[in-house]
Amino acid sequence: MQEEDYILFDAYINGELSDDEILKFQDKMDSDLEFSSNFNLYLDTTIFLQNTIRNEDETNAFKNNLNTVSENYFNKEKTTTKIVTPKRKPFNIIKYLAAACIALLVGFFVFNQFSDPTYSDFNSHEPMTIVRSENNVKELIEATKAFNNKNYDKANSLLKKILDTDPNNSELQLYYAITNIELDNFKIADTQLNKIVVGKSVYKNRALWYSALSKLKQKDIDATIVYLKQIPEEADDFKEAQDLLDKLE
Amino acid sequence: MSEKKIHEDQKYIDGLLNNNSFIIEAIYQKFVPKVVNYIKQNSGDAEQAKDIIQETIVTIYNQAKEKDLKLTCPFDAYFFLLCKRKWLNELKKKKNKEVTINEELLFKDDGAQELAYETLLFGEKQDLFNEMFNKLGKACKDLIKATFKINSMEEVAKSLNISYAYARKKKSLCIGQLTKLVQESPKFNQLNY
Repeated sequence: MQEEDYILFDAYINGELSDDEILKFQDKMDSDLEFSSNFNLYLDTTIFLQNTIRNEDETNAFKNNLNTVSENYFNKEKTTTKIVTPKRKPFNIIKYLAAACIALLVGFFVFNQFSDPTYSDFNSHEPMTIVRSENNVKELIEATKAFNNKNYDKANSLLKKILDTDPNNSELQLYYAITNIELDNFKIADTQLNKIVVGKSVYKNRALWYSALSKLKQKDIDATIVYLKQIPEEADDFKEAQDLLDKLE
Repeated sequence: MSEKKIHEDQKYIDGLLNNNSFIIEAIYQKFVPKVVNYIKQNSGDAEQAKDIIQETIVTIYNQAKEKDLKLTCPFDAYFFLLCKRKWLNELKKKKNKEVTINEELLFKDDGAQELAYETLLFGEKQDLFNEMFNKLGKACKDLIKATFKINSMEEVAKSLNISYAYARKKKSLCIGQLTKLVQESPKFNQLNY
């Protein structure tokens, strides 16, 4: 009896029953409390399995990222020491000079807003934080350091090496692509980015943004616009993409 | 029934869903210190706080992914309540240890209690399902994994070298067996089924 019920539940969930059978099923759901509570649990279990198994890769990527942030946070907490605030110094001419410099800088940036946007307006990359490839941990740490110190030449050759052993890691592909944009290896950069754009990883939208920046650096404004327009509203870079789009169009 | 308004802090939930490092870091900067303090004041240390916080964030992520979680209260209150409950449950498990609990009302009730309760229940259900899934035999586990990964039962049958009809039947029975294990667990009655 129980076994037949399970087979029936599954057929109902998969939409394989005839109209007659569906009516019968729903009647039984209304009249037989045990049947309906067993079905609800079967349905919940199916949903649980579906989500857990189907989203396994994404969930693992999330857990890895979370773990990195958590480690960074708690390690920093451990090493934080009290910073002694300097005593107030008397007001002096240096402060006037500093204020004048700031005013000049602000003026410069305001002026810059009206000039044509260039790649260098946008290449303040988020620091690389990943170390989650199973192999090459040493190289990954080196690559992360090099990337964050803007030593793109070094980061590029290290990332290339790591990618050879972990070719489907889209996070690594993205950072590798960024170093290639920085080094003007546009062909490699664009190929890497395209791999991410057509894939299903969480870096898809960021890859679109960098594809646009790559084209911007190549002064191919039409292609830049095409990429920018594909960036969806929920993307982290949406606002910047819109700003850039406004300036280009 | 009135629709509850979604709180602007929904951005934290959406950020978690998108695996957005900025948002995760913001959660740590803004909301985690309070939790760490609470756990430290209540018989715990930083290491334990770290685990509780991580588990809580994963539960929120799963609920958002599976149940389209909509935040109707500030994230601060919701997150704190969740971590606090989780920590108190942890303490209960180690009953033999003497514990001190500083109960104080840190938030006025702005719907956070209710939402936190739902999330906790969701997390406990997930834990129970996971635990029982691991108790299934290897053949069932393999079949279920293949079914939900591959999507076409014909291909599943081929990959496991069994007939299509058998694969279909066996899949229903394996899921049935899992529901039975869940039902028979003593934890099941606490889960509002």
